[in-house]
Parts: sequence; C-alpha cells; structure tokens
Amino acid sequence: MDVQLKRGLLEVCVLAAIRNNESYGYKIIKDTRPYAELSESTLYTILKRLETAGMLTIRSAEHDGRLRKYYSITGAGIRRLEEFRSEWQEMMSIYRFVTGEGTDNDQT
Amino acid sequence: MTRLEFTEKLREGLTGLPQSDIEERAAFFSEMIDDLMEDGMSEEEAVAHIGPVEDVIRQIVSETPLSKLVRERVRARRKPGVLMIILLVLGSPVWISVLLAALAAVLCVYITLWSLVIALWACDLAIFVAGAASVVSGIFTAAQGQAAQGAAITGAGIALIGLSVFAGFVCFYAGKLAVLITAKSAVLIKSMFVRKGNRS
Repeated sequence: MDVQLKRGLLEVCVLAAIRNNESYGYKIIKDTRPYAELSESTLYTILKRLETAGMLTIRSAEHDGRLRKYYSITGAGIRRLEEFRSEWQEMMSIYRFVTGEGTDNDQT
Repeated sequence: MTRLEFTEKLREGLTGLPQSDIEERAAFFSEMIDDLMEDGMSEEEAVAHIGPVEDVIRQIVSETPLSKLVRERVRARRKPGVLMIILLVLGSPVWISVLLAALAAVLCVYITLWSLVIALWACDLAIFVAGAASVVSGIFTAAQGQAAQGAAITGAGIALIGLSVFAGFVCFYAGKLAVLITAKSAVLIKSMFVRKGNRS
C-alpha cells in the first residue's frame, strides 16, 4: 500500500481508538491490531503529530504506582474522522463506478 | 535485554537530539514495556517485542529534521571554558577556512551532480532542435524541387527527434538518480551529527 496513504489511515485508526474513551499507548495498539499493524515507534510519531495538530490532548495519571499517559480526542480530531468518512463515501462511489459492481453494468 | 539496558541504549543512540525529546521517547517506551508486562509478558519478552533498539533509533533519527539536530549541537556548545574560547579565537583562521573548504567541497559535489543532469537535458534538447530544424529544412528542399534530398533530410530529422525522445527517458532517470543520491547523502549527514554527539 502507498506509504502516505497508509500513514493517513493509521492516523484515523488511532483517532478512532480514542473516539469514545480516552486510551493509553498499549491499549491503542491492541484495539487497532485486528485492522492495522501499528508498531510502538510508529504510534509515538502518530500521537505526536496528532497532538501538534490539536486533534488529541494528553494527561498523565497514576496507574499501579507508575505514571501513564492518557490520550483523549478533541473537536478537531472528531472533525477529522467525519472528513474521513465523507472522503471514503466519495471513494466508494468511484470504486463502484470503476469496477461496475452494484450498478446496472455489473457483469458478475 | 532488560528494560534498563534498552532505555540506556536508546538514550545513548539518540544523543544529539534535544534532551526533552530523548526523555519523552524513553518514557514512552518504558511505559510500553510496563504495559506489555502487565499483559503477561516478562521483561525480556516485552523488550524483544519492541524490536532491536538500533531500528528504533534509526527511525527516530530519520524523522527528526536536520535543523533540530544542528540547533541542539549549537546549544550544547554554548558554555565552553575560557581556555576553549581562547583556542577557538586563536585557531579561527584555521578552522574557519577548513569549514568553508568542507562546505565548498560538499557544494561542488552537488553542483557537479546536477550539472551532469542539466548537461544531459541540454544535449537532449539540442538533438530535438536539430531534428525539428532538419524536418523543416527538408520540406523546403523538397518544395524547391529536390524531392529525394528533401525526403532524406526530413527523414534524418524525424530520426533525430525519435532519438531525443529516447534520450529524454535517459535524462529523466538520471534526474531521479540524482534526487536519490541527494536524499541519501542528507540522511548520511544527519547521522553524522547524531554519532558525533555520542563522543562529546
């Protein structure tokens, strides 16, 4: 898969993982694992980029006697997810046009 | 490898980056190791799961912009001792000229590289122009009654145009190669900053 496309997809995956509740690093990786392979280094970069873009906030909290970072989505992050959804609706209709699936031209 | 060994190696390998960046990364991976262990892995397994520390370092260095590395080098040197300052001043004719020479050398390499590419494109353009001119000239020659010669000149012109198209592909790939070399050498220069940091 194209590298830039993959990076963009991983970003929205991370946002989706924190959409409903705040989450922490390892849990984000586990939640996205069925859908995308996310390495620890890659996750760090993505989290940093999303924070700079204002799409998530970070807070440190104590857990089991150590400090853990929790990531929460922001309004900008939610807007990004909405953008993603409409981008892909457009892509899906083009896909159907190109492959002829689901239209009158469907040969299958 | 234990968690401590991993984070120590990580810190070492990232010398040259701003200290806050290094600490942030070390804390991130330390937290990750803790979570992996909470999930049932042993410390060794958790560290192994993250992968070779060299790979992690390489990925971090390649993502850090060169400007950040340079800025950090400059900041780290801000408080030299009195002796250092004296030596720097006294030695300035030497190290300034050496530095300028080194910069000039690097610049020369890039200029040479890209001049080659430009020269190739210039040749290609020349061939094309010659071909186009021949085609026109041949038509005029034929129009003046010398059909056979005209045809031959036009034919040669067409052949030249064809050659320029082919040569155009060569120029294009030469340009791509030059871009690749430029990019690779940029990464090389960056890693020199990080490695040098390990010694100081």
